[in-house]
Amino acid sequence: MFKHILLCTHGTAGAQKAEAFVFRQSAADSALQVSVLTVLDEDWRLMTGDDWLNSSKTHTAFLDHVEEQVSEEIGEEWQRIRDTYPAASEAVFLQRTGSIAETITRVANKLHCDVIAIGPYQKSKGIFSHAEKGLRARMKNEILHPLLPCPLLIIP
Amino acid sequence: MSRVKDHVPVLLMGGLLIVYGLIVQTGILLPMMKYLQTHKSMDLQMTLTLIVGGIAIAGALVNSVKEPGNSIIDRFFLQPLGGIVLILVMAMAIRWYLEPLVEIMSEALQPLLGFGIYKVLNLNYVVLGILAGVLLTNTWGIPKFAEAGVKCARFVLKMGVIMLGARYSFAELAKLGVYSVWLVGFFVLGTVFLVLWLGNLFKQPKSMTGVLSAGMGVCGVSATVAVAPVVKAKSAEMAYTIGTILSFGIICMFVFPTIGHMAGMNPVQFGAWAGTGILNSAQVAAAALAFNAVDIKTLKVAEIFNITRVLFLPIIVLVLATWFGKESGHKLSFKSVVIDKFPIFILGFLLLFGMSSAGMFSPPSHYKGKYIDVSYNDRTQVTNEEWVTLSKAMAAGEFSALTPEQLAAVKNLIEQRQIAGNYAERNDKKAFDKVGRARMTELEGVLAAAKAKELTLSSDVKGAIKHAIKQVHKKSKTIVTLTDFMIWFFAFGLIGLGMQITKKAITQAGGWPIVMGVIAGITKAALSFFVVLWLVKDVVLN
Repeated sequence: MFKHILLCTHGTAGAQKAEAFVFRQSAADSALQVSVLTVLDEDWRLMTGDDWLNSSKTHTAFLDHVEEQVSEEIGEEWQRIRDTYPAASEAVFLQRTGSIAETITRVANKLHCDVIAIGPYQKSKGIFSHAEKGLRARMKNEILHPLLPCPLLIIP
Repeated sequence: MSRVKDHVPVLLMGGLLIVYGLIVQTGILLPMMKYLQTHKSMDLQMTLTLIVGGIAIAGALVNSVKEPGNSIIDRFFLQPLGGIVLILVMAMAIRWYLEPLVEIMSEALQPLLGFGIYKVLNLNYVVLGILAGVLLTNTWGIPKFAEAGVKCARFVLKMGVIMLGARYSFAELAKLGVYSVWLVGFFVLGTVFLVLWLGNLFKQPKSMTGVLSAGMGVCGVSATVAVAPVVKAKSAEMAYTIGTILSFGIICMFVFPTIGHMAGMNPVQFGAWAGTGILNSAQVAAAALAFNAVDIKTLKVAEIFNITRVLFLPIIVLVLATWFGKESGHKLSFKSVVIDKFPIFILGFLLLFGMSSAGMFSPPSHYKGKYIDVSYNDRTQVTNEEWVTLSKAMAAGEFSALTPEQLAAVKNLIEQRQIAGNYAERNDKKAFDKVGRARMTELEGVLAAAKAKELTLSSDVKGAIKHAIKQVHKKSKTIVTLTDFMIWFFAFGLIGLGMQITKKAITQAGGWPIVMGVIAGITKAALSFFVVLWLVKDVVLN
């Protein structure tokens, strides 16, 4: 049915549902091309908050460290996917930096994907819950929907 | 054409400022300004709006025809112009309209609520400025034309601190320095070790406790940003720590001044407490100005504590790097840890302090480095509390034993909130000065009569009159001008920094960092409160 799926994941429980669905489809249809996209949230640059004491050199060092650290964590997630789903060995893995909705739609457009697959809405965990990787962020439908170049598949 | 379109908002702001300046010049707005108690700044409003408006239009026109370049003028003036003008417009609107309106509304609501919102939340122009910045960035977002300019806030705040250097004497700096080194040293190191111990107790990763200990112990987000690469903090650890520190700091910014007023702290005590207990250094400055925005005593004390904390940062980074390096086998150079982290703007602060101490800003005509300034200036006013004290004493007939001239001087002090000449004569500097000085002499006579037991005045009333007289004794014209600029620089910097506090960053707070951060933050704030009340006595500040 689909030729090229863009699977968007950052490793949360919801995103893992989307991974399972996409690689089930991929295993059943060898012609199906899968691209796995993980977005490095550009809002990391806002995490320096109201810091004014540090020099731009220290800011740059911090942002470089964030990029290195998040890339390492993304690499671990991709390895988990490869270990879990044999079909993932054929997939293309992509890491892009930007705002989440804009980056997903831009990549889907560029790769001529015919569907974007994402996980379902996840209820926020309490603030005292165990730390998850990356930044807590939500995509807003009103931003994502008008930009979509192809159907959006939300895997429940 | 598209480039012109990009600069339309700046052109519009510039145009509106010039129109506003011209309207102010006609005097049409005088009744409203009198109602808002901002009429004394009428000349300043006119001058500032015309100058900023003119620069905005000229800069926007140049930007519209010129290709963006990489010269100093491009990077430091033309590119950030939009943001600079936006923040200045916000600062002016808040200073001249929003703050007086909030004060008037607060007074109107006081009978209904039983307390004054303005007083309890310390909603002066500094706090309102930060709130406006936070509100703008989290609702509409920072407009594209202003993005580069907003980033200037960091630089401008540093300039404010550098200018503040001119306001200290050797004696003040020595006395405050001793307090700050001991208090900051004890609480910085104490909090760092408390967090490291809590991390060990709760079996948390070293990278997380390392980054949190620096943030909670030294200077909030700044320390977190400096230490995160050193201890190789994970993404969630950085996000949770920064979120926790920002949330805790914003709460402190509102709570500290209110508690300080309730506890009857003097400016030195409050400055010392805020400088020790509040995490983020920008919020220290904001809380100090929220506690007392009339004069800059509290800010002077708080900034010395701030600077001491910042000087501790490279030391803490070195300690944590050594501690973490031992675990990971990762070695860092002295240069990358200490020299690269040294806050260079402190050298500027020391330079201004040195120039001021050498008498470069106080010409011989200003006897003993002081002169009388009865012109209109917010910093020559009495505080709100003092104004209320004087008004109540007048209503209660406490001044009935005064001579008619003395009574007239006190009435005028209540009316104008400062010792000054007649408002109508403000353009005739000689006449204005003469009347202002005569009023000061009468008020000095009131204090002398009270001292000689010729009349009875409460200590609060005497204190208010004494403060009013002290307020018009200034160091030098150059320092007054530097201070005026400095206050605008602080307001500008804090509004700009408010624009960089996002809801998304705050809502990252959570996990173990929030548990350990709250324990450490509250312990530090509470302990430093009692230690400051116990140890820190008033230091005579000029």
